[in-house]
Amino acid sequence: MDHFERQLARMMRDTEAPAPFEPKHRERLRAGVRVRCRKRAAQRAVGSVLAVVGLSVGLFLLPGRATRVEPSHPGPQPAASPSLSAPPATPDASLSAPPSSGTSTAPASPGETAASTPPATTGSAPTATEILPGSTEGVSPSSTSAPPSGTATARN
Amino acid sequence: MEQSRARAFDEFVAARWSVLVHLARLLVGGDRHRAEDLLQESLVKLWFVWPKVADDAPEPYVRKVMVRAAARSGQRRWWGERPVEQLPEAAVVGDVSADVVERSRLEAALAQLSPKQRVAVVMRYYQDLPEGQVAEALGCPVGTARSHAARGVAQLRQLLGNVNEPVR
Repeated sequence: MDHFERQLARMMRDTEAPAPFEPKHRERLRAGVRVRCRKRAAQRAVGSVLAVVGLSVGLFLLPGRATRVEPSHPGPQPAASPSLSAPPATPDASLSAPPSSGTSTAPASPGETAASTPPATTGSAPTATEILPGSTEGVSPSSTSAPPSGTATARN
Repeated sequence: MEQSRARAFDEFVAARWSVLVHLARLLVGGDRHRAEDLLQESLVKLWFVWPKVADDAPEPYVRKVMVRAAARSGQRRWWGERPVEQLPEAAVVGDVSADVVERSRLEAALAQLSPKQRVAVVMRYYQDLPEGQVAEALGCPVGTARSHAARGVAQLRQLLGNVNEPVR
């Protein structure tokens, strides 16, 4: 620090003039604080209003997305089980396919298959195979009546 | 609670007003009204953080706010000045003393500097702050702050010439 810099520092310190804190300064300061308080409150209010608007817009758009997603959920799709039960039925039907039309219509109508499948899924196929070698006489269900006719036509 | 806060704040401001006004005048280059505006803005900011800084260091906080605002003042183009028909205050007869002359010279010379140079010079030579803190206040690297201070001092050297001992 050379002579000029030292003198510069001294000038800056020595030229301080006494300036009392007067009531007008206090009032002005209070007014500034009040203005700033109001500005902050206004900013806070605007911010909360914007937040509410954003939330409401988000909630408004949210159900729309849900309805779009909803159809993609295949609700009553356990219809896959009849398709599983159908193959066991088809071999017998393929054997007896040409003559008996009753066996071919049975898998075509889902309602009827659904009604007949619960026994057919597990029990009907074995029973059909059991019935085939045995007596085919008086059993009323179509699945049981079909195999004998199939075997008959196959022999013809 | 609020009253005790206001009382403590008023006591602090009343005690440090003179020093802070002088710093503000140096930072703005001598304009008393701009200096008071700068100080008031800084004190309003202090009011809102008073519970946090009251026990630690309220004055360094105000100084930092003032310095940063003064350094940014170069980007500000309008200070809200309006032309009036009559001057708001007249010079007091007999006010011209040696101190006032010296202060006027100094403030006139400081007013010639750019805001960042002025802030760097004031922080370095009036507040005796190290270059690192000057750079932090200016928001620039230390080398840049050093350059601001050096250029400011060089310009003041030309404007003030050889500063002799004060005329008293």
